[in-house]
Amino acid sequence: MSMVTAEHLHKTFGRFTAVKDASFSIDKGEIVGFLGPNGAGKTTTMKMLTGYLPPTAGTATIAGYDIIDKPLEARRHLGYMPENVPLYDDLRVFEYLEYRARLKGICGKSVRQQLGDVIDKCGLEPKRKNLISTLSKGYRQRVGLADALLGNPDLLILDEPTNGLDPNQIRQIRELIRALSENHTVILSTHILSEVEMICNKVIIIDQGEIKAADTPENLTRNLRAAGRVSIEFKGDATPVVAELEAFAPVKKVILEEPEDGWNRLLVRAEPGTDTREKAAAIIVAHGYPMRHIYRHIPSLEDVFVEMTRRD
Amino acid sequence: MDSKTNTITRSTSYFATLRTIYNKELKGYLGVPFGWVILGCTMALQGFILQAVLQVMTHATGNGVMYHMLDNLNFWFYFIFIFPLITMRCLAEEERQGTLEGLLTAPVTTTQIILGKYFAAYTFYLLLWLPMLLYPLVSDIGNFYTELRYGIQPEGSITYMLADWVGPYAILALSGSFFVALGILCSAMTRSQIIAAILCTCLMIMYYFMGRVTELWGEFPAAPIFHYLSCTEQVKSFASGVIDTRPLILYTSLTVFTLALTKRVVDYRRWTR
Repeated sequence: MSMVTAEHLHKTFGRFTAVKDASFSIDKGEIVGFLGPNGAGKTTTMKMLTGYLPPTAGTATIAGYDIIDKPLEARRHLGYMPENVPLYDDLRVFEYLEYRARLKGICGKSVRQQLGDVIDKCGLEPKRKNLISTLSKGYRQRVGLADALLGNPDLLILDEPTNGLDPNQIRQIRELIRALSENHTVILSTHILSEVEMICNKVIIIDQGEIKAADTPENLTRNLRAAGRVSIEFKGDATPVVAELEAFAPVKKVILEEPEDGWNRLLVRAEPGTDTREKAAAIIVAHGYPMRHIYRHIPSLEDVFVEMTRRD
Repeated sequence: MDSKTNTITRSTSYFATLRTIYNKELKGYLGVPFGWVILGCTMALQGFILQAVLQVMTHATGNGVMYHMLDNLNFWFYFIFIFPLITMRCLAEEERQGTLEGLLTAPVTTTQIILGKYFAAYTFYLLLWLPMLLYPLVSDIGNFYTELRYGIQPEGSITYMLADWVGPYAILALSGSFFVALGILCSAMTRSQIIAAILCTCLMIMYYFMGRVTELWGEFPAAPIFHYLSCTEQVKSFASGVIDTRPLILYTSLTVFTLALTKRVVDYRRWTR
């Protein structure tokens, strides 16, 4: 069952088009990472999914409920943590969470039970009675996350949940999100690509308001141009080696870099998904040249990101 | 859904949510210094005016103390400023802090938010007038003390005559219901509390002067409209004990209209954000 479907979502602010014709669907239990450069339309897309920002055209559903026709039902399945975590500074942590719990329709004994649950999960116990205005950025972030978790919603939308946290806190939040994935669907946006690689099983890349890719990280990196790239360093006459390599089928181009210390440096561009190391090594060895380095580039999400969003 | 979800007790009651917002907002007035400063200042001003009124009352008879308290230019001096002060935060601050986003992504309707805030502000407004109910008691205590200390029976006293109190309180409650709504509308239009307050004060003063148009221009064919809208005239008649249904209709419909307009403004502003 798909938890979220977006169909041709479109958003313009005056003449500026923030999101163009975005369509995607997210299945139950997936952790989806929204990637994109600053101002790509990540936050706008997320705000449209929550129903806060009405789309100019197109529609979306959450748990089968249309966000425009049935906004309240859709929101009952949603836990949202906005960017920069707006909170009421004059409330105490538990007061704020209690208010939010009641707003979400939780009542009776469940309020206390839910409060205890999210305070525990987010490690807020020591700051329970503190005024929100006295909290550090990391704790504010956790209060925002606790708020999103109240009522155990099916779908969590987290806009930059690890923004401004220190590495230990980032690790804690990451562990928490991973633990949540057992019975929640999570959509998160971030700039930190390694984070996405670690926890997400689906990536949506947005650039200039358009969805460039929506797939698993493995599939995305597999078909990358950078995927078959090999770099070699050897000593000797480069010309015949280059010619022989270029004659080899999957190789598309061989670039020779100026030797700095007497060692030639070759960059071999080949078809994605091929391995040309064995052949290259054989050629160099056949010439009897010494070789000190051969490496096949392992493509990362960063390569995918750069390739999809580069402006040149 | 996992088993844990099923154990959460949920209600989808419209009024439970409304009450949650109302309680939080009312706490926003009474749980912080803000509300008590306004209450303190209002009481001090009421006290000053009472002092002046008691001077007047030694010469004039026939009307209750509340009549003189309200049918008085000094009263308008502070009355007009109560509304921008108590309503300017309502929606402007939510928008500036960004907490409106949290409210509007919870299963809550715009109407519930506005009504919750409106009733909280209105309740607080009504609270501002309650200390005045103590005046007769205080005057009795004062008289009792005078008698005890000096052995003289004082002549004047402020009494709990129903007619003296119901009329003035009715017009305060009625006109206040509209002015609070007006303040909330102004607060919905901007993210700056100051702009909301300036806008509300301006509209309040304009509305006040609409009622005085006839004093400047005399009677002319459209004059009845201005008489109908005149809050000074309404206060005068209510304060002297005449409960009129025309202001009731006027203020109830204006309040409903203003709140409906506020909902449109809040929804419209989401489009441009």
